[in-house]
Amino acid sequence: MKKKLALFAAAAALLAGIPAFAHHSFSAEFDGHKPVRLVGALTKVEWTNPHSYIYIDVKDDQGKVVNWGCEGGGPGALTRAGMKKTDLKIGSVIVVDGYLAKDGSHLIDARRVTLPDGRNIYGGSPGDGGPGDTGPPLK
Amino acid sequence: MKRFVVTLVLILPVLALGQGGGGRRQTEPVPEGPVPRAASGHPDLSGYWRDDGNANPHGNLGKDLPGFKLPFTPAGEAAHKYNVEHTIDPESLCLPGGLPREDVGDMGFQLIQSSTDTVFIYQYGTFRDVPVDGRKHTEDPDPAYFGEEIGTWDEDTFVIDSIAFKDSKTWADENADPHSDALHTVERWTRLDAGHLRLDLTVEDPKFYQVPVHYRRTWIAAPGRHTREQACSENNIDVSAGHLGFGPGPIRADGTRGYDDPSPLPPLPSKSNPAKTILPPGIQ
Repeated sequence: MKKKLALFAAAAALLAGIPAFAHHSFSAEFDGHKPVRLVGALTKVEWTNPHSYIYIDVKDDQGKVVNWGCEGGGPGALTRAGMKKTDLKIGSVIVVDGYLAKDGSHLIDARRVTLPDGRNIYGGSPGDGGPGDTGPPLK
Repeated sequence: MKRFVVTLVLILPVLALGQGGGGRRQTEPVPEGPVPRAASGHPDLSGYWRDDGNANPHGNLGKDLPGFKLPFTPAGEAAHKYNVEHTIDPESLCLPGGLPREDVGDMGFQLIQSSTDTVFIYQYGTFRDVPVDGRKHTEDPDPAYFGEEIGTWDEDTFVIDSIAFKDSKTWADENADPHSDALHTVERWTRLDAGHLRLDLTVEDPKFYQVPVHYRRTWIAAPGRHTREQACSENNIDVSAGHLGFGPGPIRADGTRGYDDPSPLPPLPSKSNPAKTILPPGIQ
């Protein structure tokens, strides 16, 4: 039990030190009143700064497919949140919860990513003032 | 053990969520002990300094003022309105945050002190090199995002006096508050002990502010941490594709940027609630 607690404490300490990397305000780009859930197959991953992007093909009820972009934190922020680039396999079906871009494009803020193995990971940019950033954790 | 792993997986992102703004958790140990000293006898301010989580509202130059209300002149009020309605966040354009923004923002920084220079290294490759060699301000300095900076020691406090600032494509803080080319900042950095570095900042800008603005905060020493490469222009789609709007977006009642009442995300998917795409009305 002591070993488990020590491991947990180490992980908590690591995450507690995450610096904020906000490149811009969440609300300068995304609409906090337009939540979105996207379910689709992963088509492309851009593991880049200042943001990472994942793209997924989303099919509507009529079978029409639209490719959506999902903006997340940079590689450093995502890694510290528990996501690895190797978690993102092209073709796998993932769930991305976030908020719609204000400019109406097929882009959302990837606030929460649920991977095929069931893990859900915070994908936002720490320090951007978006939902869950300063308030209570997303449930 | 399995239950522990599950708990850890669930908790890690929750902990991560708390790192972004004023409510962040900071459980990292704080170094203890006396103020370390350089060979010169001055306090050694070197090291990585992380935010202590108490400079609330974060990113707001008016943090220490009643109602966070900055004492704008009419020209300052107009400049603020212009920033909010017509300018894209300069940092998102990969421009240096400059002063006073880097002093009031969320980010930690690395400080390297030598006998002639004090260097601050920030995220996105931004740095400033403050000369500490007895020089004076020049007669006609070129405007810069950090201004023309001169470092001196006032007993155990390191003082940076800065003039000659850019007056466009620069915000004074995260909330798009403005500064003009008349900006004059005086930063007084004091290492209180091994673990704490305090800043007392005075911002004078008679064009935009009726009286000087005072701002105080403290950073915590984070031994072993370093600034890392973070190329701002690598894939800046927000700007190149025109996604980013003007200004900082809404400002909350608590003085930070963001929505006061964001709509919740859909509940987590489960076996009884399988994930299905949900779009706002009118979006396809």
